[in-house]
Amino acid sequence: MDSALLLDGVTKRFGDVVAVDAVSLRVPCGAIYGFLGPNGAGKTTTIRMIMSILYPDAGTIRVLGDGNPEAVKDRLGYLPEEKGLYKKMRVAEILAYFARLKGMATGEAKSRARRLLDDFGLGDWADKKTETLSKGMSQKVQILGTLIHDPELVILDEPFSGLDPVNVELVRNVILDVKREGRTVIFSTHVMEQAEMICDYIFLINKGRKVLDGTLRQVRQSGEQAIAIDYDGDGGVLRRLPGVARVNDAGKTAELFLQDGADPQALLKLLVGQLEIHRFDMREPSLHEVFIRAVGGKAHA
Amino acid sequence: MRRIFLVAQREYVQNVRTKGFWIGIFFFPVLLTAFIVVPQLLERTKSARRYAVVDQSGWLLEAVNQRIAVGDLQLALDAAADRASSPDDAEKLPGPLRAAASDLSALTSADRMALATALLRSGDGADLSPQARTMYDAHGDALRSWWSGVSRDTLRALDVSFSFTRYVQMTAPSGPDAAAAEALNRRVADDDLFAYFVLDGDPVSGVGLSRYVSKNLTDEDLREWFGSLATNEVRERRLEREAIDPGVARWIQTPVRFDVRKVSAEGAEESIGERDMLRQWAPVVFVYLLWISVWSVSQMLMMNTVEEKSSRVIEVLLSSVSPVQLLAGKIVGIAATGLTMVLSWLLAFFLATKYLPGVLGASPDLPLSTIASDPLLLGSFLAYFLLGYLFYAAILVGLGSVCNTVSDAQNMMPAFMLVLIVPLLAMVPIGRDPNGVLAQVLSYIPPFTPFVMMNRAAGPPTMFEYAVTTALLVVSIMIALWAGAKVFRIGVLLTGKPPKLKEILRWIRAPVGMVPVRKEVSR
Repeated sequence: MDSALLLDGVTKRFGDVVAVDAVSLRVPCGAIYGFLGPNGAGKTTTIRMIMSILYPDAGTIRVLGDGNPEAVKDRLGYLPEEKGLYKKMRVAEILAYFARLKGMATGEAKSRARRLLDDFGLGDWADKKTETLSKGMSQKVQILGTLIHDPELVILDEPFSGLDPVNVELVRNVILDVKREGRTVIFSTHVMEQAEMICDYIFLINKGRKVLDGTLRQVRQSGEQAIAIDYDGDGGVLRRLPGVARVNDAGKTAELFLQDGADPQALLKLLVGQLEIHRFDMREPSLHEVFIRAVGGKAHA
Repeated sequence: MRRIFLVAQREYVQNVRTKGFWIGIFFFPVLLTAFIVVPQLLERTKSARRYAVVDQSGWLLEAVNQRIAVGDLQLALDAAADRASSPDDAEKLPGPLRAAASDLSALTSADRMALATALLRSGDGADLSPQARTMYDAHGDALRSWWSGVSRDTLRALDVSFSFTRYVQMTAPSGPDAAAAEALNRRVADDDLFAYFVLDGDPVSGVGLSRYVSKNLTDEDLREWFGSLATNEVRERRLEREAIDPGVARWIQTPVRFDVRKVSAEGAEESIGERDMLRQWAPVVFVYLLWISVWSVSQMLMMNTVEEKSSRVIEVLLSSVSPVQLLAGKIVGIAATGLTMVLSWLLAFFLATKYLPGVLGASPDLPLSTIASDPLLLGSFLAYFLLGYLFYAAILVGLGSVCNTVSDAQNMMPAFMLVLIVPLLAMVPIGRDPNGVLAQVLSYIPPFTPFVMMNRAAGPPTMFEYAVTTALLVVSIMIALWAGAKVFRIGVLLTGKPPKLKEILRWIRAPVGMVPVRKEVSR
């Protein structure tokens, strides 16, 4: 088994709305695969079909080499976007419950829940009710619940939304740890920076259709060359530069796309006169740029 | 199966830990105890009613007082007769009663009444029956002198409801009637007196009115008690005046009497007792209990589902269990919770009826405790609890799954109440006529079947009716579970406004796995 997940022509309709339209995809084992797309693109629906919470109207899904997704549920770990805990259950208790639902024996589930809580600095909270946890702590508990049974394939739906930087870092490390152990991670996000940092592969979906799919590098190279700069000064200058077709200006950093035949060196000279330039490099476009171009929105100028 | 069991186990453990569960467990026994204890306590704490009588006839009050005394003496004689069988109790009786106790117990109650009359009224006991006559000759003088000198405390020790424990006569002021009435009115106003009577000057003629004056017109015990004694006395005087033999008069007044009997299931005629009357009405108690438990337990399931949705834990669960497994686990887990509650209620009912009266010093209420352990009633109660719960649980869990907040769910309740109120309204009519048309028709309507069939247990319905209604109910339960599961599958993933009924019906018709139009589902 070299693919953790195979989708072939998967389609899902909600009444007249086609939420996922003939999507095919292969996720190799041991990879981190990012599902990108705007809101309503079909990311969550795709993930729910992989988890066999929804059934596809057409197409086949093979998860961990098995054509019957129900049969492999115990080997999957899933963190939905809409997630929560039973308010009245104790923290260790609910973790053990999740583990037992995944087929773990009661005793092992209990000791494992406590060990994980200790490892993640929540040991003192093991016997408290989950309603007493702060938001960040309950996010941690939910992630532990997803990983407690050592799933071979981990699927995280928008794991970074609403997290502070410390917890973003934590989730990122968890994802990398899973990969290091040779297991596979799929996560959906619309925070391009996160995807850019850790993804091996990118899957971009828009209006239910696959738009881009491949390694991070392939996806980025599919766009046109860009010049990335870091600067201080009035960014309005950038828009008036000759030879520049488009600008993605983020205030302190910017991405410039040249018109055909324009000379980057001439541009640099012009810039140095008007702005304080800290960095100037030529490279493939950012994921952000690829994303915006692909989903048809205009790069905000 | 393992997953269903895990979900059920969690539901059970978590619910049993809630305060609501324990309140539910204790609610019924406390209510039941209150039902048994409070009336008795009220009866005991009811203070004696003080009253006064202005007698314009000059003789009626004295005659009534004598009748009161005869009644009390008869109570004392009856108490002695009752206790004669137990040496310990007999030992505690005051002197002459103790001596006469065993002889008294040999007399009939009518003889004891005649004896009491003979002892207190002038006469030599000539018209007594031979046994009473012997008794009169042996103990008459001793009893009469004991009674004339006995203190109220001695009598109270007998623990019999003598008239003076309930009604105490005060002396009325003498003097002109108008002034006396004014003084009495003030005493009634000041709560010094409960009421006073003004007896008509010539009650025998039946022309004038006597008066009863009180502040409290709802408690009529005093007026009825005193009035009937006075009426009896006046009747006797009328008979005397017209020279009619009292025996003839009694005979004329004897009503047509019925020996009420019932026909058993086998067609044999049997005499009936208190137990049969209770049996007739006991199902009503069980219907009420059934109604409360089915309703509260299936509502518990609904609220649980809503809570799972509003806390957003449901999708996490769905990554491990299928919606149908989750549904089955929840239904089983809450059923176990409900059964625990109901069984503890039954146990409490059984224990309370059996032992509580004993604790209170009253004799155990045997008919009630046999009903609490009647296998037909208990068996059908448990069976109909489970069937009724499954039916309503299937529907409520489906509806609960489409709600996102508790208030969404509460908005749906009034419609359910409209349906569920029917068996409650029909409870008394069906109890009165367990095999009537209303009872039969309602039995075949599945939402009402559990309650109505329970209600009819006194009938009881025929085996055929049991079989057909149960089959109908089971089929409806399967349909409800099937539909509930389909709604649940879609509903649990739904956010936003709850769908309209029309939309839910469309989900039920759609094939499994299809999700008919619903924007929020896609995201």
